[in-house]
Amino acid sequence: MPGTYYFVIVGTKDNPIYEAEFTPQVNELNDGSPMKEDQKHLSQFIIHTALDIVDELMWCYKESYLKVVDKFNKWYISAYVTSNGMRLMLLHDVTNPEGIKNFFTDVHELYIKVLMNPFYEINSPITSKAFDAKVQLLKKKYLL
Amino acid sequence: MDVPTSEILTRNLNKTRHNEVSLNAFNFLFSEMIQYSQQRVSGTVQELEKKLSDFGYRVGIRVVELLNWREKNGKREIKILQNLYFIHTNVWKMLFGKQADSLEKHTEKEDEYMISDNEPIITKYISVPKDYHSLACGAFLAGIVEAILDGAQLPAKVEAFANPQEGFPTKTTIVINFDQSVIDREKLFQ
Amino acid sequence: MSVSTNQRIGEDIWKLKTERINAELFTLTYGSIVTQLIKDYEDYNEVNKQLEKMGYNIGCRLIEDFLAKTNIPRCKNFKETSEVISKIGFKIFLNIVPNVANWSPDEKEFSLIFEENPLTEFVELPEDAMDLWYSNILCGVIRGALELVQMQVECEFVSCVLHGDDVSEIRVKLIRILEEEVPAGED
Repeated sequence: MPGTYYFVIVGTKDNPIYEAEFTPQVNELNDGSPMKEDQKHLSQFIIHTALDIVDELMWCYKESYLKVVDKFNKWYISAYVTSNGMRLMLLHDVTNPEGIKNFFTDVHELYIKVLMNPFYEINSPITSKAFDAKVQLLKKKYLL
Repeated sequence: MDVPTSEILTRNLNKTRHNEVSLNAFNFLFSEMIQYSQQRVSGTVQELEKKLSDFGYRVGIRVVELLNWREKNGKREIKILQNLYFIHTNVWKMLFGKQADSLEKHTEKEDEYMISDNEPIITKYISVPKDYHSLACGAFLAGIVEAILDGAQLPAKVEAFANPQEGFPTKTTIVINFDQSVIDREKLFQ
Repeated sequence: MSVSTNQRIGEDIWKLKTERINAELFTLTYGSIVTQLIKDYEDYNEVNKQLEKMGYNIGCRLIEDFLAKTNIPRCKNFKETSEVISKIGFKIFLNIVPNVANWSPDEKEFSLIFEENPLTEFVELPEDAMDLWYSNILCGVIRGALELVQMQVECEFVSCVLHGDDVSEIRVKLIRILEEEVPAGED
């Protein structure tokens, strides 16, 4: 299933504060239905493992965008670190460095807008439906 | 189906970059914040300082993201000294219109740094008793600094002291003691 | 004094006589205060009250600064007061000029309509917080400041952009003119 993505923002206590899965809209086998549970668990596991690598790389590079940090079978894991230590992690099965960089950068900007709201507490889950809708739009723009 | 919208998610992060309000308005607000904290805290001076530092912390944790995004073009500071310099220069300029007056490293203790402001603008016109306003000003600034360092994943104990000098009766010094893990990691990734 | 005179006075004082500070620091600090109050009181109506009270304290002290800076003669009527609040008061403290509108027939009540408000930049209320008047401190400031120039007013928000309303509107109602008196033992 090429063009499948799993995206998560991980807080400083290794807690996910936002997650989204992007599967291709039209596909013979899949009409955009959510990932299967076992596939989701695997994605979470792969990303969790990659966090350790990010936690080292983030002290080597000043760039927020760390590019592909890990690979697992056919999966790539790209990462991006914000100045608050939020880690944006994307699991993908096609390489698309420019698109992913733009995606991360724009999601980062959205995250800052959420954070600026005094009612949002750092490291708490982002539940805003508007945020979700915007992320989905960015996915369409840059990833699929 | 309606797409959920949100005003704040569509605003430009640079929109209010150069906006200003009167220093008096800020000082009045700050003064109310101090008095409120005094009323709410029944215990020790440390509790009061903690409360005031929390007010600053919530400001700092937002400033670090906003300012990095505006000024660093997709980069972050990763070294201790660069982070402190960012606070001393960029953060102070954004918030207080001038850079801080000094950034020093302790000559013997390798984990200790100091940032000083000779005349903190935030308590310039405050009319609460003097000992409280220097304490409050310091605690608030310390909270901001601690939040920014936490954001950079450089946890530290941050405390402020009134440090009056000739010509600068309100000089405030913020003393930063990094966790040993921070010092060790910096050596490791040199 | 004409409307345009007030406007000019406000602009001149803002430009020439006002020390300023970054509005984002002000906005974020106010946000930090509101969230602390919510944590402490866990009740939006109580938070509204506390914000009003803080504002009242500020208003009582701010008027002194206002009178010293503006040096304008006492207002002849409530209409003039409304213009001074909007064009000079809000201008020299927050650098905004809310519109004066919706006068009651007896000229004892008017609205201040805010097109911009530095307090609410970046802010979005959680769905369960619709009882909160986020900028309620402003009502207290107006009440406190006017009381010290012998006008007892009631002041409250009737709409707010954070609630999804088109504009933010504060209603100011003159209750009575207080007797001139010098409070005993005033500092």
